[in-house]
Amino acid sequence: MSELRISSIETRGVPGKKRYAMVIDLRRCIGCMACQVACKAEFDVPLGVFRTWVPYKVVGKYPNVRKMFLPRLCNHCDDPPCVRACPVGATYKVEDGGFVLQHYERCIGCKACMAACPYNARFMLPKHRTYTDITRVVDKCTFCHHRVTQGLVPACVQTCVGRSRIFGDLSDPASEVSYLVSTLPTQVLRPEEGTKPHVFYIGADRNRTEYGRDVYNAPEVLEADRAAFNRNHNI
Amino acid sequence: MGEYTIFHTVAWPSTYAYYFFVIGISAALFFISGLSWFREEFKSLRTSSFYLSFVLLVAGGLLLIADLSQPMRFIFTLNPFYWNFASPLTWGSILLLLFGAASVAYFLAMQKNDEALARKLAVAGSLIALGLPIYTGFDLSVHQHRPVWNTPLMPVLFVALSLISGAAVASFLAKGEARLLTSLRQIMLVASGATAVMLLSLLVTTANGGSASELTFMFMTSGLLGAVFIGLGVIVGTVVPLAVLAVPFGKQASGIMLASVLLLVGGMALRYSILMGPQIVHTYF
Repeated sequence: MSELRISSIETRGVPGKKRYAMVIDLRRCIGCMACQVACKAEFDVPLGVFRTWVPYKVVGKYPNVRKMFLPRLCNHCDDPPCVRACPVGATYKVEDGGFVLQHYERCIGCKACMAACPYNARFMLPKHRTYTDITRVVDKCTFCHHRVTQGLVPACVQTCVGRSRIFGDLSDPASEVSYLVSTLPTQVLRPEEGTKPHVFYIGADRNRTEYGRDVYNAPEVLEADRAAFNRNHNI
Repeated sequence: MGEYTIFHTVAWPSTYAYYFFVIGISAALFFISGLSWFREEFKSLRTSSFYLSFVLLVAGGLLLIADLSQPMRFIFTLNPFYWNFASPLTWGSILLLLFGAASVAYFLAMQKNDEALARKLAVAGSLIALGLPIYTGFDLSVHQHRPVWNTPLMPVLFVALSLISGAAVASFLAKGEARLLTSLRQIMLVASGATAVMLLSLLVTTANGGSASELTFMFMTSGLLGAVFIGLGVIVGTVVPLAVLAVPFGKQASGIMLASVLLLVGGMALRYSILMGPQIVHTYF
């Protein structure tokens, strides 16, 4: 039986099409943030913006408390809202592989894709970068398209010390990601939005994936950090 | 503090709220100028409201371009090979282009005193103008994950806000003409009544939504944003002028002027808070 596809852009169950996905096993994540650093190094990601990041929440009751990590990145959705939102076609989905990528030379910087992304995966590149002259356009995680097409795994997967991040082709029944997704309970972020993400989590519960109460009653120190961030990243 | 995340920025800053305000007034003023060909009392507004509509159209376009991080690439939005019809921003760039062209043609027809052509262009231009608040509403409503934005109300609400703001500005151009002010009062009364119903519906729906809706509701009804949305937008800018227009004082020129000022303040406050509220919540995700 063919898989249900709501939108013509979706490639689930389409024969002959690769569908790259990442499984993040949260039981193995130690919050070392090596993935974040590897990504920064791979792409010259400027200060203050991130293609991947590792937020945490402290849960439990003292003295039995622990940090719960939730590595984040672009979900390379099967039905990406950012692609629909872009007025000039600067954001597009690679049909064979499912990468959601950006034509930097075409991006006008209207930020419609940033507004459309339910995962905050997109950001505006600041005016100044150390080694790269692509600035003042929207950027995002590419699932390391340049590495994957050379037979490598993304930089964050390569560097993950706990082997928490696993990458592969979901359309290949012999791949590790296929095995994990089909045999273990997995979660995706904000499934109700109908984006069909290609980043699957093992062991994510609502404590990590929902808006926290701190949203409304943010600690003062967080607000001070936020104000400093806004001062330095005026988009 | 038991949480750490990186800080995300608001995608669409207040520039868009100013744009929504300006382009809504521009569209309604063109409609009022066009109406003058069919309703005698609007005749004195024919040229003044059209000129102001055109100035605001140019100002709105410049606001949009200024907000782009690559302003010179605005030309890409006019390239048919780049158009993406799934994006309301594409509809917007086409509508703005058509509205500009219709305005120039309408101006030339008026200059030549060609009444038949001017009437036709007034109707065509008004229909295009109607598309402007509709597309700005869809700009917001297509974002499936944003409470408040992702409701069918947005395009209708923006049409009502456009009519209110346009009629309020027109009442200052009316120079105290009694019949004209009566007609403008009727437009403001009906449109602000409809807006009040829509705002109530929006508040109730948002308060009873999921976790993101609940937090958005809290943001939009308390603190500084609450003061802007509830204080300026709903009370000062919708309920009070509605009451002023409904009582006998609201039939006098001074009452209509007072209501117009309040409606303009409210129109701006509503557009700003509706734009920012759902974005602030999302920056914490």
